[in-house]
Amino acid sequence: MAAMARGGFSRRDFEREPARRVFAGEIRESRIHFREGDDEKSPTYVLLPTGERCNRVFLVGTLTEKKKQGDQNLFYRARVIDPTGTFFVMAGSYQPEAMQQIARIEPPAFVAVVGKPNVYETPDGAVLVSVRCESVTPVDKDTRDRWVIDCAKATLDRIDALGTTPDGERAVQEYRTDPALFRKLVYEALSQLSL
Amino acid sequence: MDYSDTATRISLNVKAKGHEADPVKIAGKLRRLVEEFGVPPAEAERSVVNELAREFSLNGLGTPGGEEKNLNALLPGEWTTVEAKVVSLTTTPSPAIAQSGILADSTGAIRFVVWAKANAPRLEDGKWYRFESAVVDEYRGSINLKIHSGTVIREISRDTILAPAVTPIADLIPGIGSVKAKVIQEWDVTHDRMLQNGLLADQSGTVRFVIWKEEGKERLTPGTVYSLYYAMVDEYSGRYSLNLNSATVVPEEGDIPVISGDSRFAGALVHIAPGSGLIKRCPVEGCNRVLSRQNYCPVHEIQPGFLYDLRIKGWLDDGKVTREILIQREVTEQLTGMSMEQAKELAENNPLGMDEVFLRFRDRILGRYLICSGREIDSRMLVNSCEPLRFDPEETAALLNRAGGPS
Repeated sequence: MAAMARGGFSRRDFEREPARRVFAGEIRESRIHFREGDDEKSPTYVLLPTGERCNRVFLVGTLTEKKKQGDQNLFYRARVIDPTGTFFVMAGSYQPEAMQQIARIEPPAFVAVVGKPNVYETPDGAVLVSVRCESVTPVDKDTRDRWVIDCAKATLDRIDALGTTPDGERAVQEYRTDPALFRKLVYEALSQLSL
Repeated sequence: MDYSDTATRISLNVKAKGHEADPVKIAGKLRRLVEEFGVPPAEAERSVVNELAREFSLNGLGTPGGEEKNLNALLPGEWTTVEAKVVSLTTTPSPAIAQSGILADSTGAIRFVVWAKANAPRLEDGKWYRFESAVVDEYRGSINLKIHSGTVIREISRDTILAPAVTPIADLIPGIGSVKAKVIQEWDVTHDRMLQNGLLADQSGTVRFVIWKEEGKERLTPGTVYSLYYAMVDEYSGRYSLNLNSATVVPEEGDIPVISGDSRFAGALVHIAPGSGLIKRCPVEGCNRVLSRQNYCPVHEIQPGFLYDLRIKGWLDDGKVTREILIQREVTEQLTGMSMEQAKELAENNPLGMDEVFLRFRDRILGRYLICSGREIDSRMLVNSCEPLRFDPEETAALLNRAGGPS
């Protein structure tokens, strides 16, 4: 009723998925992915080893390499490095804005990436996680450092809450997550910030 | 004490059921119960009525109109009798309703509705009445009293002075509320019939208020403190709103401490939506809609005399929740370092036109950490100040400790 009175569409019906902060070293370990609901448009999630579902990520790192691929269906692949490892980032014709942004970037450069993580298996059986980007924007070092802090905090929060939520329990079961390993990852990432 | 009123009423009730009862006899019985046996008047009335009901084998007589209650004790669905003062009369929304307004006693206040079909006498503002056999109903989460054709209304004389209890804004519930609050914001009216709307605050919280155009209604002065007695508290999409058309408005001297109406949110700007940057607005008075590329307003069609504006619509995300923000011109200029004049010049001299402004904004602020404060409307934040969030080395040490060392 309330929605009808306001034009038949309630803004509250739609909740945008938050962009999780995840280090490359953690997302690399992700294997479990699932769809919530039966609808074709239902959101898909990657389950992080520290126990949170993740439909979108926000990451800041150094774009070190980019490669244009395909003829008909042009797309870009790029590598973005954070203190713990490498994100594999891609943008195709469905992400024209991100593609144009990558085209203009001269590596190496600090970039902020918003995108959706995908888990897929290579023909030889290896599992890879890539990020299909919505945007790739050049930023300064200060933003990168701020992100490392932000991501460290978010990761520690997840570790502290591990096992206390249904997603957390599932992560413990599926990944046999060792919290100490991820604390170490966070510690190493923070240590690389210039003090 | 005079029992004739009550006696007459009871005898009329009996008569309505097709029997005769002598009011003088009834009055005598009442007097005996009250004066000789010390029975409270309401209880005496009940016992006399019960006796008559038995005598004539009537079912529906009972105590006329249910138990007598204070306003704060009413429950939805019950029949009741109350004695209360009309403290406000409001315009009626429908011809089926003869009168509506607010009743109060020393315990509280309640909305009331008199159905046109009730054929009730006109109630007057400021007078006390006894309502027998009214029905307590619930509408949109707040209870009200329905006066129907079976309700017996009698004016009574009381000289009790009612002092409505003032509620902290945070404790308001749907129904009637009285607050002492300061007008901290005045917003553009969104409707022809609206006189004023804005935000009230006290130390506990903030609440939206609205005054509808009506004879004798005046606007509140921003920055002034008011005591607002008997306002109607409504709920719209999860938020409360005070309708002041029913309220007694008393300006107060001096100032009171208030909490800020603004909320703050920090995060990364993860998306800038289309419609950000330099935009054109419809110049028709009161319209202000955004025009399409062809200068087309959905209401006023082609408007070559458009007005330029700058804004950013986007999503700010802290990793746990993401919130829609709308940054208006001044804050946009300050955040992007591009003035409206510069943006216009850029758009006019660039092959990409207004898109160029959007792209520059994107390169300057997308993916950056910001802290915004502003007011919340329909789950969107209208930002009135926004700062970049910088890297703070102090945080590193604390987090290193939390991570527990290199081991």
